[in-house]
Amino acid sequence: MSGFTFSEKQEKEITGILSKYPFKKSAMLPLLTLVQRAERAISPEAMVAISEKLDCSPAYVQSVMSFYTMYHAEKVGKYMILFCINISCQLNGCDKLLEHTAKKLNIKVGETTSDEKFTLHREECLADCTNAPMMRINDTYYGDLTEQRIDQILDSLD
Amino acid sequence: MSDNEVTLTIDGKSVTVPKGTKVVDAAREVDVDIPVFCYHEKIGALGCCRMCLVEVEKMPKLMTACTMDVMPDMVVKTTTDKVEKAQKGVLEFTLLNHPLDCPVCDKGGECPLQDNTFKYGPPDTRMEFHRANNAKATPLSPVITIDRERCIACQRCTAYSERIEQDQGLVMLNRGFYNEVGTFNNEPYNNRFSGNVIDICPVGALTNTDFRFKARTWDLTNTETLCAHCGCNCNITMGTRLNELMRIEARPNDAVDDGWICDKGRWGHQFVHSKNKIITARENSVGGGKPTSFPVFPHDCTIQDAAGKVAEAFKKIAEEHGPESVGFIGSPYTTNEENYLYQKLFRQSLGSNNIDHKSYQDTPGLPVDHYGVEQIETANVVLLIASDPTEELPVLDLRIKKAVTNCGTRLVSLNDQTIALDKYSSQSVQYRVGSEALAIDALANGLARELGEPAPAKDAGQTGISAEDMNTLVETVRSSMKICVVYNPSALSGDAVSRVKRLLKLIAKVPTMECGAIPAAPMTNAVGAMDMGLLPDFYPGGVPVTNQDEIKKQWGENAPTTKGLSALEMIARAEAGELKALLVHRSNPVIDFPGGSRVADALRKLDLLVVHDMLETETTELAHLVLPSNGPGYDEGTTTNIGGRVQARKKALETAQAPDWKIINLMLNALGDETDYQKVLDVTDEIAQKVPGYQEISRKSLGKAGCDRAPVTSVDETVAEQSAGSGKNGNLRLRVATSLFSHDKILDASSRLAHHFLPSTAHLNEKDAKKLGIRDGDTVLLSAQDVTLEATASVNNRCQSGGVVVPRASDWQGVNGLTGADGGPTWVEVRKV
Repeated sequence: MSGFTFSEKQEKEITGILSKYPFKKSAMLPLLTLVQRAERAISPEAMVAISEKLDCSPAYVQSVMSFYTMYHAEKVGKYMILFCINISCQLNGCDKLLEHTAKKLNIKVGETTSDEKFTLHREECLADCTNAPMMRINDTYYGDLTEQRIDQILDSLD
Repeated sequence: MSDNEVTLTIDGKSVTVPKGTKVVDAAREVDVDIPVFCYHEKIGALGCCRMCLVEVEKMPKLMTACTMDVMPDMVVKTTTDKVEKAQKGVLEFTLLNHPLDCPVCDKGGECPLQDNTFKYGPPDTRMEFHRANNAKATPLSPVITIDRERCIACQRCTAYSERIEQDQGLVMLNRGFYNEVGTFNNEPYNNRFSGNVIDICPVGALTNTDFRFKARTWDLTNTETLCAHCGCNCNITMGTRLNELMRIEARPNDAVDDGWICDKGRWGHQFVHSKNKIITARENSVGGGKPTSFPVFPHDCTIQDAAGKVAEAFKKIAEEHGPESVGFIGSPYTTNEENYLYQKLFRQSLGSNNIDHKSYQDTPGLPVDHYGVEQIETANVVLLIASDPTEELPVLDLRIKKAVTNCGTRLVSLNDQTIALDKYSSQSVQYRVGSEALAIDALANGLARELGEPAPAKDAGQTGISAEDMNTLVETVRSSMKICVVYNPSALSGDAVSRVKRLLKLIAKVPTMECGAIPAAPMTNAVGAMDMGLLPDFYPGGVPVTNQDEIKKQWGENAPTTKGLSALEMIARAEAGELKALLVHRSNPVIDFPGGSRVADALRKLDLLVVHDMLETETTELAHLVLPSNGPGYDEGTTTNIGGRVQARKKALETAQAPDWKIINLMLNALGDETDYQKVLDVTDEIAQKVPGYQEISRKSLGKAGCDRAPVTSVDETVAEQSAGSGKNGNLRLRVATSLFSHDKILDASSRLAHHFLPSTAHLNEKDAKKLGIRDGDTVLLSAQDVTLEATASVNNRCQSGGVVVPRASDWQGVNGLTGADGGPTWVEVRKV
């Protein structure tokens, strides 16, 4: 299979990652993360490329990739919204806020907006109960959510 | 009790087992049954299904018996209330989404899920929800169907893929509720050993597509027999119903196959019902050949008449033109009994030593121990010479992988092509195609120098091996302490096989060295055919024709004691009109022998060509008279595997046709031999009496697992000094490689394995390709002799420059026609179309 090559910069990064582990296979998650962040999805071609780097079968890469919810076979939006629905957030009304967010983005939970800007997912506890209800967008935590605050946050992202 | 043993108590019974044994296996020793799903003794501990929970004194919680090593004075209980409650609980969950479609499930009747539920399961379920519906019958490959609804996600199959096949083709995808067995990107699960997952699946999830809905397992007649495809002689069970082959399963025998078979063994036996099967004796009206003046078979003549007439015709020609005018080409695929009787017919009754079964050089016996395949696990070093087990002897490939990954064995190879096992070897030394004799001698000379023996100083030059590589190899071999040399005589050109034997003798001279070898020719009974004396220069048991006293004692005063013609010499004599009559048994020289159309032309010149075969071939077309051979599935007898193990092949299907040994017996009778064998075991008994090495072979000693034959003596061979080979400028040396799924008479177009057939391919080195202006994927023509063959070029450095590797893809490809009739290296011209 062809169609996926790592950029020069990525190649350098991969060499660095691989040097950290005694076994190549241990670098599976860092490499998957690298691809997910760069491509916003992990395609079969990318899995083959990773398997070649790690000396394992592409099936094994897919097995790991499909185990974790943070990796996606379908391309996700530029902003990945993970909405906490665990107990603290639930008690503080996350359901209603999630519904509001979905309505605002005009998508269902689990979907991506047509402009590929946002993807909305439910998520289990993100360890920020002090600020419940909360959500995570890419690497940033947003706590003490209200409908107004959500509107504000989403509008501020470009 | 030694330090390596542990004594423990299981359900009040005391048991002593080796250290490292799992509790579940120790329990089996004292007939305590601990139920399992995911555990398989050959795959190892997984601890995934939780079915094997047991109570262990002083441990607070229940433990999984399959992951727990035995410990001294451990007290294990498997029948307490706590255990029984746990077993019921586990099964209730295991059955949560299982469809219970047992009435239409192929596994029904032999299903561990059924059995465990029957013995240990709850009487009812408390779950009142709808069962999850998953994909039913889905093709996992053209030969395996997966029923994801039945799968209990025990992960036995994926562990097999990871630990035994070691290619991780089959994996668990997704997580939790959505967990399923699958392959990368839904590609077919296609490899040489995929079928074993059907045997090990403890439910009806992985099923044999060919067997689906064909029969209930309890209606099958199961015959414990042997696979007839390669020299491994794996043990199989043929399940038949109403005299039709239904399915084939592995039958574990640690000394032979370790419990696995390859896909060719599992699905490659459909030829038993082939429409090309020869079922009656017949006379051919030969188109091109001259009509024979010998007896014609009347239409539907009985086999008694036919056999008698063939024998008399041969006798008449032998009397008229001398015994050297008749010949026999046997087969390395037939049983020892058939081979033994045919050589007896030609030697005792016709007085001819013109007997052979192959187109390469080899001699019986080894100058060192003949190792069984199990010894690979205990050897420190395995040295492969010209052998590619993955294509030639697949189950040997699994054994080597196991030795390298689990037993600390080191693999080194001396080969002219890259092979799949290179991934596992610590050193792969590649010599130029055709220079095997020089490469083997270079290794031997290196060793000789280490041992302080005289040896030429400089010698590896023409092989393309660097001095450094050769020194490393010499050192690995010298310091190995225990080495197993696996060599493929059929892939060695010229007299290279004698050089291997000289090398073996040298290795054995290294102080404190244990040296053994496995002659790994890919054919089913290659070792047996040599042992049975299907050779022009050796009587059965490796007795050379020059040993007159021994021969006269065993075979009578008239037994011939001059060297006969080899198979290739017989073809040459036929061409010259000196050989008058030839009997070919289960062999297809027209396709398989070197020389191309010359072979067919030579056979046409014979006064009498009799072919005794099971399927119609290009050679039966040329025959004056054709005799039917029953072949695997129908025949009985013994075969000797590459490790020298003799095992019984049994009859799984009935036929009205007389078996081969009976037909040969009739021919013997017609020529005055009065022995009347009642059953094939009578022949086996005679072999035990007459063939050195086979004294111990009897019905009793064969049993279920077979019996190692004693070593067959080898003779000291003189090896000629080498002259440097001269090549034609610009031409490449040809290496014909074996491919497991070759499209031939056995695996025909209707075969279940047809998806594995390869196109005709020529593997070239980059340098040569550049010189010849050939790019990857180009169509090329290869020509030598007067034969031209078309192939697709693959530029992949499978061999060094100066060579070209062509796998035998099909009978119609005709690659053997390119090779020279003298058995030496072949030069081919390669050009782009």
